[in-house]
Amino acid sequence: MAAPNSQITKPSEPFDIVATYNDLLRSDPDLTMPIAAIEALVLLLTHSPSSTISETLDLLEKSTTHLKKSIPNPIGLSAGTDLFQRYLITTLQRPGQLGPAGDFNAIRAHLLSNSRLFIRRAKESRDKIAGFGRGFVRDGSTVLTNGGSRVVASLLQQAADEKGGPSAVRFRVIYVLSSPKGDIENPTAEPEGMETVRALRAKGVPVATIPESAVAYSLGKADVVIVGAEGVVENGGIVSRMGTYQIGLLAKAMGKPFYVVAESHKFVRVYPLGQYDLPIEQHVIDFKTQEDVDSAKQQQRPTDVPKSPSLNSEFDADSVDFTPPHLISALITDSGVLTPSAVSEELIKIWF
Amino acid sequence: MATPADPSLNTTSSPPAAPTPAPASEPPAAMEAPSQAQAPKAPKAPKPAKPAKQAPKDKPAASAPADAQGDEKLSPAELKKKAKAEKAARRAREKAEREQGAPGGGQGPNTPAGKKGGSGDAGAPAAGSAAKGQKQIPRRGSAQAVPQAEEVKKKKENKNVAVFGHLYGQQRRNTVAGAGKEVHPAVLALGLQMRDYVVCGSSARCVATLLAFKRVIEAYTTPKGTSLARHLTTHLSHQITYLSTCRPLSISQGNAIRALKLAISSIDPSVPEAQAKTTLCEFIDSFIREKITVADQVIAGSAAQKIKDGDVVVTFAGSSIVKQTLLTAFKQGKKFRVSIIDSRPLFEGKNLARTLANAGLEVQYSLISGLSHAVKDATKVFLGAHAMTSNGRLYSRVGTALVAMSAKERAGGVEIPVIVCCETVKFTDRVALDSIVVNEIADADELVLTQPPHQLTDLPDPAAAAQPEPKKGGKSAPSNPTPESAPKSSDSPLADWRDTPNLQLLNLLYDATPAEYVDMVVTEMGSLPPSAVPIVHRMSTNL
Repeated sequence: MAAPNSQITKPSEPFDIVATYNDLLRSDPDLTMPIAAIEALVLLLTHSPSSTISETLDLLEKSTTHLKKSIPNPIGLSAGTDLFQRYLITTLQRPGQLGPAGDFNAIRAHLLSNSRLFIRRAKESRDKIAGFGRGFVRDGSTVLTNGGSRVVASLLQQAADEKGGPSAVRFRVIYVLSSPKGDIENPTAEPEGMETVRALRAKGVPVATIPESAVAYSLGKADVVIVGAEGVVENGGIVSRMGTYQIGLLAKAMGKPFYVVAESHKFVRVYPLGQYDLPIEQHVIDFKTQEDVDSAKQQQRPTDVPKSPSLNSEFDADSVDFTPPHLISALITDSGVLTPSAVSEELIKIWF
Repeated sequence: MATPADPSLNTTSSPPAAPTPAPASEPPAAMEAPSQAQAPKAPKAPKPAKPAKQAPKDKPAASAPADAQGDEKLSPAELKKKAKAEKAARRAREKAEREQGAPGGGQGPNTPAGKKGGSGDAGAPAAGSAAKGQKQIPRRGSAQAVPQAEEVKKKKENKNVAVFGHLYGQQRRNTVAGAGKEVHPAVLALGLQMRDYVVCGSSARCVATLLAFKRVIEAYTTPKGTSLARHLTTHLSHQITYLSTCRPLSISQGNAIRALKLAISSIDPSVPEAQAKTTLCEFIDSFIREKITVADQVIAGSAAQKIKDGDVVVTFAGSSIVKQTLLTAFKQGKKFRVSIIDSRPLFEGKNLARTLANAGLEVQYSLISGLSHAVKDATKVFLGAHAMTSNGRLYSRVGTALVAMSAKERAGGVEIPVIVCCETVKFTDRVALDSIVVNEIADADELVLTQPPHQLTDLPDPAAAAQPEPKKGGKSAPSNPTPESAPKSSDSPLADWRDTPNLQLLNLLYDATPAEYVDMVVTEMGSLPPSAVPIVHRMSTNL
């Protein structure tokens, strides 16, 4: 864990929440963005010398905004920070030893220990989801999925696992792999999801990999679509990797059930009205004339020779789209299988 | 059906002539509009209809209820005259009226014929005993009405639209006469203001009601032998009954009243009266602040975030919260255009248009008939609400559903998000499947009375004719020039629709927009999908 490292560095330089967050994400491949954000905030609290509640909340507020600003896509992250802030406030409002009247050091110790418990639970939630989701993978069915969602991977693997459940399900998987072309900085990288493909194949699950352009063609052979999500928004829609929306539209058009697998800590208080209403900036559509391309090339040449002048060079592999709730059949979460409209209910329960 | 329909057609076009005081002017008046081409024949055709109409008119002084019948078909200008004559007549027969519970004469005017006939029979014995509760009599036909009403009943058909028959209920109150003596003057005034749409809009009515009730509570003293918690509730319910006879209560009013009654009943009887009254007044103040004033600010703030540069915002009628939202967004420096859709007969959008234009926004104003055009370049729709029902439907000014649907169903385009701004005090646990079961019917005469725009082809008023005469005379020569001697109000071809057979007017106030057409409900508790309305309602009432 990154905790000891940062503890050492702390006296010399001020705590850098952004660096900690990025370190955490890199150090543990199983870590999701909201959890990393919460962990970073917990570390921040361990380091900060704040002694009053308002000071703590203020610090939290500031670092959260800072963190959100410095990360290009803060949707998943804000789910974590919001949740943590909410949890902190409710804990502090509770009467008794840990309430506003109590000893602040005790409160802090309690908070930190509970936060760790929270993080552990969040990691366990993946197994819980796999338990709920198993039923959606039927014997003899074909599942279409995409992306590198760890929850989807764990669900499929558990369904294929003979030891885990009552009996293994025999199913096939069509895996949509996004072209690695977008990832220019790392040309050798294999498409996200290959790891899952290998793991499934190792378990004896027949897996077909298709490019994104073949989704409509292949969907006729699939019985069910299961995707992961970066964030589940208030109206029950999801923010997910680019390409999920089109799969959702196609699944709806073909009448295939479209399930989303997501932990409940990914529920985020955002209400997008459409694709272009997401609280992030991404330049997916970038109009250019030949003139623009040439001038861009000239600017690049002296400094960045290796950068290929590919037309897609601006395309960000991390870009996301929004899948509206009416395309989603159900959300499989650790608090049960929910309809999209039940998400807002869950969110309201957390917030009020 | 063809033959009976013809005279009815004629009669519909003839009415402008019917109420005209000077018969000589009739034929020219009918000729003035080309659409009334058959009008020259009309004066003959409506004759059979006329007696029914004229009958009550001929004997205005004979009996007060007869006046009442006449009033129904008359314009406001004439109504005033009638009222004066009626008043004089009533004074003269004051004694007799007292015996028969005659304030009914004043109340009766708007009672529809069918109802009057029915209730007139029931009213007869009631009027016989003068001791009968005063409040009831005014709304029913008085004893005098009985012979008259029955006579009219034979000739008149029911003017209530059958599908909405259950909504007609009591006729709206026209005057404070006959209100119970318990009703506070502030409430008396408010009732009439609500009836006249001076206080209009769900939130405004809710706030006004609470403020009036605050004055009621301030002026209240507990009678001996009862406790405040017990008696004040019944005292308030007199006020509430009065208000609801002026105009049916809105959902927000109902919710506020429920909260107030709960607060009253939870007052400890041992608390001194002065203190209890202060507590209640504070409760009212904080209710208004929390549920409406601050809530509106929060909603305007979060809804304004949804407005982006370059947006074209379509809104319907005049919602105060939408106005606040648009002004907030404008103050934040956003560049957007507003397209206001309005409708008859209330024209609530006019005020909104003026306010926004004065504030510096770019405003386009059109009536709902121009909706499809306005929706063409729209990017967002903002709507106010009268209520949100538990199945997520939006219950709002009639026409809202049309706007929401055309925004969502716009053919060949990207669908436009429909955003509803609504305080949680307007949430209800009722369910609306359509706008038929629950709705409010306003006076159908509102549809009839319009001020027609000044016509160039009209001859100017004889009084003001002097200067513009040569110009206008030349202009209007090709079309049929007609002396405008008929009063303005009688211009409407529907003016005496009550006497026109086979004609019913319907003036609905609300409609229900299905939840699928609403993308987002902005409340003070956050933005929700319409499906979350019952959850939030449950939570906000439990809090």
